[in-house]
Amino acid sequence: MQPLTFRKLLFHCLLLLIILFLVVVVALKFGAVPVSLYALGRDLLRVVLGQSSQMSSDYGLIIQNIRLPRIILGILVGASLSVAGTSFQALLRNPLADPYVLGVSSGAALGAIFALIAEPHLTLPPVFAALLTPLCAFLGAAATITAVYFLGRREGQIDSTTLLLGGVITASFLSAIITFLMSTVNSGNTRGMVFWLMGNLSTSFQKSTYWFLAAGFVAATGVIYASANDLNLLLSGEKEAMHLGVDVRRVRFVVYIAASLLTGLAVSVSGAVGYVGLIVPHVMRLIYGSDHRTLIPAAALGGAIAVVIADTLARIVVAPSELAVGAVTAVAGAPLFIYLLRRRPA
Amino acid sequence: MRIGRGPATVIGSNSRKPGHPPLAQRPAPFARKGDAGSPRASRGAFFSSRRISRRNRGGFLKTTLPPRLRHAALAAFVAFLCAAAPSHAQSATHPPTEPPPFREVVDETGRTVRIPQPVRRIVSLAPSLTETIYALGLQDRLVGDTDDCDYPPDAQKKTKVGGGINPSLEVIASLHPDLVLATKSFNRPETTHALDQLGIASYATDPHSVADIIASTKTLADVLGVPEAGASVAEEMQHRLADLQQRLEDLPPKRVLFVVWTQPLISTGQHTFLADALHYAGAISIVDSSRDWPQVNLEEVARLQPDLLVFAESQPGSTSREMEKLAILPAWKILHAVRDRRYAAISDAVNRPAPRIVSAIEELARQLHPAAFAEKPSDSKKESEKENPPSRPVALRASSPNLFPPHRYSSSMGGCACSR
Repeated sequence: MQPLTFRKLLFHCLLLLIILFLVVVVALKFGAVPVSLYALGRDLLRVVLGQSSQMSSDYGLIIQNIRLPRIILGILVGASLSVAGTSFQALLRNPLADPYVLGVSSGAALGAIFALIAEPHLTLPPVFAALLTPLCAFLGAAATITAVYFLGRREGQIDSTTLLLGGVITASFLSAIITFLMSTVNSGNTRGMVFWLMGNLSTSFQKSTYWFLAAGFVAATGVIYASANDLNLLLSGEKEAMHLGVDVRRVRFVVYIAASLLTGLAVSVSGAVGYVGLIVPHVMRLIYGSDHRTLIPAAALGGAIAVVIADTLARIVVAPSELAVGAVTAVAGAPLFIYLLRRRPA
Repeated sequence: MRIGRGPATVIGSNSRKPGHPPLAQRPAPFARKGDAGSPRASRGAFFSSRRISRRNRGGFLKTTLPPRLRHAALAAFVAFLCAAAPSHAQSATHPPTEPPPFREVVDETGRTVRIPQPVRRIVSLAPSLTETIYALGLQDRLVGDTDDCDYPPDAQKKTKVGGGINPSLEVIASLHPDLVLATKSFNRPETTHALDQLGIASYATDPHSVADIIASTKTLADVLGVPEAGASVAEEMQHRLADLQQRLEDLPPKRVLFVVWTQPLISTGQHTFLADALHYAGAISIVDSSRDWPQVNLEEVARLQPDLLVFAESQPGSTSREMEKLAILPAWKILHAVRDRRYAAISDAVNRPAPRIVSAIEELARQLHPAAFAEKPSDSKKESEKENPPSRPVALRASSPNLFPPHRYSSSMGGCACSR
């Protein structure tokens, strides 16, 4: 394998960083409320300088309180899903694997739906009430991760095929419970639940939530990135990797937990945004090759770009109404996937 | 063939139930209970003759009669059907001693429905229809309603046929209704279609405005054979809305955001009866969407800055909690209405196209334009609020008894008032 210097990595990712920056600027500019580029630059400068109190217009507040947090959420969700997808595809050595294949999204959705059902009956302080749904979603995801991990174990270690099948079965079982709950609980709540299943970035959170998400993303991605070399070796086969000195057991455990946590974090704030974790890693692999040392950062940036673009479309296509971002990624992702599938040499 | 299969299954399951009345006493499987012992002549007319012959030839005769009698019965039955078919086709020329057993009406979805007369057993498939039935004073004829029918509380005690989307056809059939009421928005057309297949008459309403609700109530009362009650309910509604309009006519409407769901924000479109109800309450929705339940962009709301937020709450106090929750979120904080906690919480009756919507409209108007209602001494208002806490609105009663003279209508819905 070629040596990888920091400089080389930076060069690889620079283009993506520039694209992401441009996409963010465009996403900040366009929306239901028109904002001129000049006003945008002025307001952003004030945000950066910490003088946000000087923004007199509502537009500045809209940018600062609605659009920017939403774009940041999109970046975090997209990057998390994409890194998780990359890791699962390497871990399970299955090109069809995506962050949801192991049932994490169904577990998160079930947790969220429980929260939506229970919330009207609980009297909670507002700070906690606002966090109840994402928190329950994350707990649901974590519980599913644990359950699938134990389902996927064979003779004390994770078996890729068993893990995959266990995940698929868990996902469909949990989906069945969700369907059951949605058809039995009071109809007033179902509307919110449907949006939970579709994927949505319009939810607003307190500032601390974004910091928490960012910290979780950095930690989990860091852990996966530390195993990037081992993932490269795993691609040539588990036995081969073992012979080359990779502790396959440890790598599988660590990467599985980290990638699942990334998925859980993303799903708990946005619902299930589909196809990002499936398509973006494949596209990035076509461009940058399958060296995980470049692939993982590239996938993170690519996922961020894809979700921010999709969410911008979701916001402006039917403005002043909105679409669910999951609908946009699915509409764009499915044809793209078919295209990639067909052009792949047999 | 579908016609043959459905009812036969039901009959079979009925006959297996221990302790169930023997089917021989029930000539038509889905006819009303009251007619179980009546002569056959009155029964055959309830169904289109061709359908009943197909349906009953196999299931009913076989399961109920001893084999020896079967042939004789079959012969008699066929003979009877031959007689019955022309008789109802020419019912106008026949010298009828009884009122015509059928009435043909076109419901609000454009279906032509043949409804047995008089309607004595009703199943309601929507909470709004259940409320309307109570408002018309017909609660004794209501034999079944849905899980969502929670108002008046007495309606919760009725036999439940399941949810509005997926009611149990078996339970509906076992109630032997003369008529099943449905709405286009709350129920699925598949349900009424399936009821048609079972030979159960169904009538669907589809109101899109407050005026539609009044008209629909009137028509429904007529279909159910109580036109006077319908006229009086409609008159009461119109009277109270006219009074409201008079009070509010000089006041500029408040610009409101009606919140159906907060995360994501879902509001109501311009072509719903809800938007119309807001107009009557002296409010105008800032959301301009042709979709009925649009997901609304918060940016747009922040730009338009509504005067206040309107919530329909199913549980008292849930709105103030919701406001506190929104007030700590960056995206919601920038709404002046959220920052200053300007909101109106009304009963979720406003979500139901039933007569009680007028109460919800009044409730909202009072909160939006207190000045228009200020002429009365304030203590009497307080008293009435103590009596009827705003979170539990009372059907079609003004919250202040002085405001509206006691009306003929309130006596006609005594059952509803008592059940509170």
